[in-house]
Amino acid sequence: MSEQSKDLSGLNFAGEATNSEMHDSPGVPVEVPPPASPAENLAEPQSPALGPTAAPQAVPPPQAPSEEGDPKALQQAEEQGRAHQSPSAAQLCPVPPAPAQLVQKAHELMWYVLVKDQKKMIIWFPDMVKDVIGNYKKWCRSILRRTSLILARVFGLHLRLTSLHTLEFALVKALDPEELDRVALSNRMPMTGLLLMILSLIYVKGRGARESAVWNVLRILGLRPWKKHSTFGDVRKLITEEFVQQNYLKYQRVPYVEPPEYEFFWGSRASREITKMQIMEFLARVFKKDPQAWPSRYREALEEARALREANPGAYCPRSSVSED
Amino acid sequence: MHSSTRRAAGIMTDVHRRFLQLLMTHGVLEEWEVKRLQKHCYKVHDRNATVEKLEDFINNINSVLESLYIEIKKGVTEDDGRPIYALVNLATTSISKMATDFAENELDLFRKALELIIDSETGFASSTNILNLVDQLKGKKMRKKEAEQVLQKFVQNKWLIEKEGEFTLHGRAILEMEQYIRETYPDSVKICNICHSLLIQGQSCETCGIKMHLPCVAKYFQSNSEPHCPHCNDYWPHEIPEVFDPEKEREAGISKSNRRSLRSRQH
Repeated sequence: MSEQSKDLSGLNFAGEATNSEMHDSPGVPVEVPPPASPAENLAEPQSPALGPTAAPQAVPPPQAPSEEGDPKALQQAEEQGRAHQSPSAAQLCPVPPAPAQLVQKAHELMWYVLVKDQKKMIIWFPDMVKDVIGNYKKWCRSILRRTSLILARVFGLHLRLTSLHTLEFALVKALDPEELDRVALSNRMPMTGLLLMILSLIYVKGRGARESAVWNVLRILGLRPWKKHSTFGDVRKLITEEFVQQNYLKYQRVPYVEPPEYEFFWGSRASREITKMQIMEFLARVFKKDPQAWPSRYREALEEARALREANPGAYCPRSSVSED
Repeated sequence: MHSSTRRAAGIMTDVHRRFLQLLMTHGVLEEWEVKRLQKHCYKVHDRNATVEKLEDFINNINSVLESLYIEIKKGVTEDDGRPIYALVNLATTSISKMATDFAENELDLFRKALELIIDSETGFASSTNILNLVDQLKGKKMRKKEAEQVLQKFVQNKWLIEKEGEFTLHGRAILEMEQYIRETYPDSVKICNICHSLLIQGQSCETCGIKMHLPCVAKYFQSNSEPHCPHCNDYWPHEIPEVFDPEKEREAGISKSNRRSLRSRQH
């Protein structure tokens, strides 16, 4: 196998996808242009795709992602791509990369993470984006997911977000083989932590969360509506527009209230993808309490879990690892 | 990628995973350490299984790694023929592996040292010559004193070996960077006449100029009382080293630190 590459101080990677298992491999060195700054990277909506999903997509959905084993998410991703044309996706995306390029990025990220860990250096998400993902930042989630999967299957390591606040990852030894796949597949972006905070707040309240309440919570993370965050960018835009567009949240005006106030609800997508038990585990972790410290909510979560098990006896059950992100 | 890991899923067990984890953690290991590591992994994850032959064990793992563009590579130290193993990245060059560790000017210092080493007759570059290039470095300005420390950092990280004020490439660097070096310096690079791999240190024929690694010389001329150059047939004037024998080492009970000084003495 001949992998040809050029060195450019490690920040640009050029390589040929010569592996016969690559689909649609162009077989041409892919030069990644100098990456943009992290803030810019992350303020954009992350299309929850496992492959190129920009609306003007001519290439048929790639084979590889469907093998990843989350058919539900892939289906939703395709629906998303067709259903709503998020303006930023259309305007920003140059050309959706070939699946082989995404796979290659995942391999580069895998090596990057392994080396950082070997050197006992901090694995910092903005660095990952700057040093490896670069212009592929729109597909960051899919790349990250694939990398986690490889690390789990081949190395028995779990790439875990250890701190939402500082956006640091760590490589930890995975528990046992059966856990590996579920844990790896559920690994998500840092955005999830932010989203989970809001969803948890709504869940605990048992009804919609007023925007003021949400900002009180986000203050804990050092996020303010008027401040641009180095990683999340315009947080207000993220939660009131992007998460809403992706159907993770609903943002509605509170009726009969003057001056106008707004509140957040769970979006339909959140209800589909995130279980109440995951919220409980997230809360337990963040507040360092037992989930049963919220007794009625915990009971609800148990009931939902039971209902899910009865409805889908053999199906893939998203593990609590979402809360481990 | 997926179908390869799926196909090999039967082969990739926790034994292999742990092995990979630990090999990656250590960076580069000698053969005896690798064998010990392998046994350890079996003990932890599969006590009752027979320990597979190391070569097969590694080939199995490599068949899984192939689609990821990484490989467990086996090399041989140039001075005393000691087998070493490292997990290397084939897709990008390994200067990029160092890139996560070192600043731009440090990386450039390494490149300059590398060039001097490759161009040299002996495979060694003197500290003075390297330090004289400090003004030409990219990035932040570096003083000579600082550069000395950076060179020591390279030694500690097993990228360079130092002997009496001179620097050459560590076996690990050769393992990881051979491809990059051959591509970047196609004209000045030296190749061993026997194994056809990259050669930094070795012996040369005084007449025709071909070069051979010391361990290659040892194997080629083993039990040959009148060594002659394989290319021009002239008498081979150098001392023929002994073939590396792991058994002899164990019997002698040499400690690891002694081995290191032996290694540097042998050249």
